[in-house]
Amino acid sequence: MIQPDMPRTWYAPTKPHKFCPGCGHPLILKALGEAIDELGIQNRTVYGCDIGCSLLSWNFFALDSTQTHHGRTTPVMVGMKRARPELICVGYMGDGGGYSIGSQHLVNSAIRNEKITLILANNTNYAMTGGQLAPTTLPGQKTETTPFGRDPELTGHPTMGPEMISSITGEGAYVARGTVAKYRQLKGFIKKALQNQIEGNGFSFVEALSTCPTNWRTNAKQTWNWLEDKMGAFYPVGELKSPFRKEG
Amino acid sequence: MDKPVTGTKKVFMTGNETVAWAALAAGADIMFGYPITPQNEIMHYWTRLGTKYGRDFLQTEDEISAGFTVCGAIIAGKKAFTATAGPGNTLMQEPFSMAEAMRLPTVAIIQQRGGPSSGTVIYSQQEVTLTTYGGNGEGHRIVYSTATHQEIYDYTIKAFNNAWKYRFPTFVLGDGYQAKMREPLEIYDPEARNIEMVIPSPLVGLPGRIGIEREPQHLCNIYSLEDELYEVVLQLQAEYDRMAPELEEYQCRECDDAEILVVSHGVVSRSADDAVRFLRAQGIKAGAFRPITLRPFPGRALREILQTGVKKMLIVESAYGQLARLLQQEIYGENVPVETLLMPGVGIIDADIISKVKSLIH
Amino acid sequence: MAVNRALELLRSSKKVTLVDLDFVEPFYTLRGLKPFLQEQGLTVIAWGREDSFGLGETGSLVTPPARWAMWRSGDIILDVGYGAHGAASLNLVEGALESEELKVWAVINTARPMTSTVGDIVDYVQGLQRVDGLINNSHLGDLTTIEFVAEGLLIVRKAAKILNLPVIYTAVEKRLEPELPVADLGPSPVKVISRYMPAARW
Repeated sequence: MIQPDMPRTWYAPTKPHKFCPGCGHPLILKALGEAIDELGIQNRTVYGCDIGCSLLSWNFFALDSTQTHHGRTTPVMVGMKRARPELICVGYMGDGGGYSIGSQHLVNSAIRNEKITLILANNTNYAMTGGQLAPTTLPGQKTETTPFGRDPELTGHPTMGPEMISSITGEGAYVARGTVAKYRQLKGFIKKALQNQIEGNGFSFVEALSTCPTNWRTNAKQTWNWLEDKMGAFYPVGELKSPFRKEG
Repeated sequence: MDKPVTGTKKVFMTGNETVAWAALAAGADIMFGYPITPQNEIMHYWTRLGTKYGRDFLQTEDEISAGFTVCGAIIAGKKAFTATAGPGNTLMQEPFSMAEAMRLPTVAIIQQRGGPSSGTVIYSQQEVTLTTYGGNGEGHRIVYSTATHQEIYDYTIKAFNNAWKYRFPTFVLGDGYQAKMREPLEIYDPEARNIEMVIPSPLVGLPGRIGIEREPQHLCNIYSLEDELYEVVLQLQAEYDRMAPELEEYQCRECDDAEILVVSHGVVSRSADDAVRFLRAQGIKAGAFRPITLRPFPGRALREILQTGVKKMLIVESAYGQLARLLQQEIYGENVPVETLLMPGVGIIDADIISKVKSLIH
Repeated sequence: MAVNRALELLRSSKKVTLVDLDFVEPFYTLRGLKPFLQEQGLTVIAWGREDSFGLGETGSLVTPPARWAMWRSGDIILDVGYGAHGAASLNLVEGALESEELKVWAVINTARPMTSTVGDIVDYVQGLQRVDGLINNSHLGDLTTIEFVAEGLLIVRKAAKILNLPVIYTAVEKRLEPELPVADLGPSPVKVISRYMPAARW
């Protein structure tokens, strides 16, 4: 059986990786790795990750990488890009690091149209710390800090990140939401988000709907159900803003 | 509504769960928090138990918010608390500074983890400087360093009462080991033990019509002139100095004729006690001093003990000098030579202390 | 409990695999014990302390072999912690929830305030959904007395009756073994156990 190669930009010594079985992160990171390979930017790309499960990717790539603090990946990549504009700065974070503790940085970087690329994995919970409420937790969803189900009256409705970003960011920005359930499409979005930075057009942001069977406590079937039927129904997939010609 | 804890009950649970029960027993109305290891379980238990007893909770967007929402709830007159660790503690220094300036009785449980930065999620005593003197103030805070789960329960209740009585931000300084280990302890209804439970009162939203029965309340934490600020800070210090003798707590084991005094705090003091017991059995005149309040530090008591013939002091901590610095400012001028056993982020057992003491004597 | 059961099965020289599925309070897991248990001949599926190095928050992580544990031969013990989702953790092990061979036992310590009364235990077990039996592990660590274990058993038995579940056994630590003959712990079996968990602190 012929198996697809690992992306060249993946760092072989740290494989097999430590993500849980069924986790969506490796799929997103594969898409990112392949996109970087295809664009030929391995040597000038810098990768930053947050705290949480994204932290497991700190030595995942054959790229110069840095770990930051929780929610602070965005400003670190902004600082890097402003200091060395020729670098392709890619920040990777979860729904907590992006929409909660990191939201003020995300919002302001989007408003300033910072020429960086951010990829956010949305698995509707704070996974690494044991499954607490996240901004993207769905109404009624049980987490360790909403043990009786998320009540939007008390904790608000789930954050629609790309929608918010696309409405506040500037001309030349690229904003999309993909899903690990549609790998090719997700990879296409990520590739465009990188291309957008190569061309120096503006802020580039891709949210990827992702899976966390460990904290969802779901078997394989239930996991895909939750991702495709529940999350998919709540979070529309597609490009929200793009300086490129629209694709079908 | 039922009381969460009635009478006295022998239980076996983790330090984090103990905090949740103590806060319930102390009558805390609301908790604000944000996930960070190793204190998450405080939120997990509070969200499950709180609904039974009409208590509230909000998971905020980050620790800065958790600290400021606690301030807000307190200004409105409710007993509010939070818990954090490491980088979260760093973020909370901004709201804690506001609490110092405005005399807000915040209660925060700190479960120390390795530092600096993300460090480890495990354990350390490296948040002493941060918890005692963090922020841009003069450290007008009450800080309890607990060593057992029984103390976590006792001092969390005490923290609420003393915070509201003396109106300084109050902290229970634990660590990742205390947070996660399971130990037996007794939980109890503090009122059944004649512990006076302070009733909170608001600073805003007061009864009475403005301009008719009362004046509007104008709260601030900023001043126009240097002289104004000078008076404010001196006043804070005077209040702090006045209440310090009422609040200082320490423990001393075999200190009376000790020649070598082992100084430690928190869980490390348990190892120090074991070490001293062992050394004494071998005829070595060791003693163990443990400050329970790191702020206000029981400096006077320590000076008195040093003057009884202590020949050497050994400061033992899971940090690189944070307790040592705190202590040395308190006993400046004393002639006793100071040695240190500094193990940042690492647990210290009695064997470590015993071998260090022996190396110092020979 | 899981560690003791695994070691007990090992003594009948069966092949035994112990799987770490304790996510929410992962500190109390098998990680620290893994080397010792493997020396005893147990197969342990859990991250070792060294493997977890560099994994920051080191919270909930499933090892790939854990997912397929049910496929192994011999005896399999799954150590499942608690959480808002109860026994749904078994979803993470392929074939576990549906398995008829698998027995799900809820370990109850009446010294834990949330499971100290009959009513609380009933609520807790019902929240777990799939449970086949209760184990009385009522203890206070080093301060445990045989009387405490017996009092706990009374409460657990009442709860078990309401739930229509058997009490599989009562756990008594080795230190209290001499007091067993005079203690009133019938009719369910009594197992003498050792406390390994303090060594597993992290």
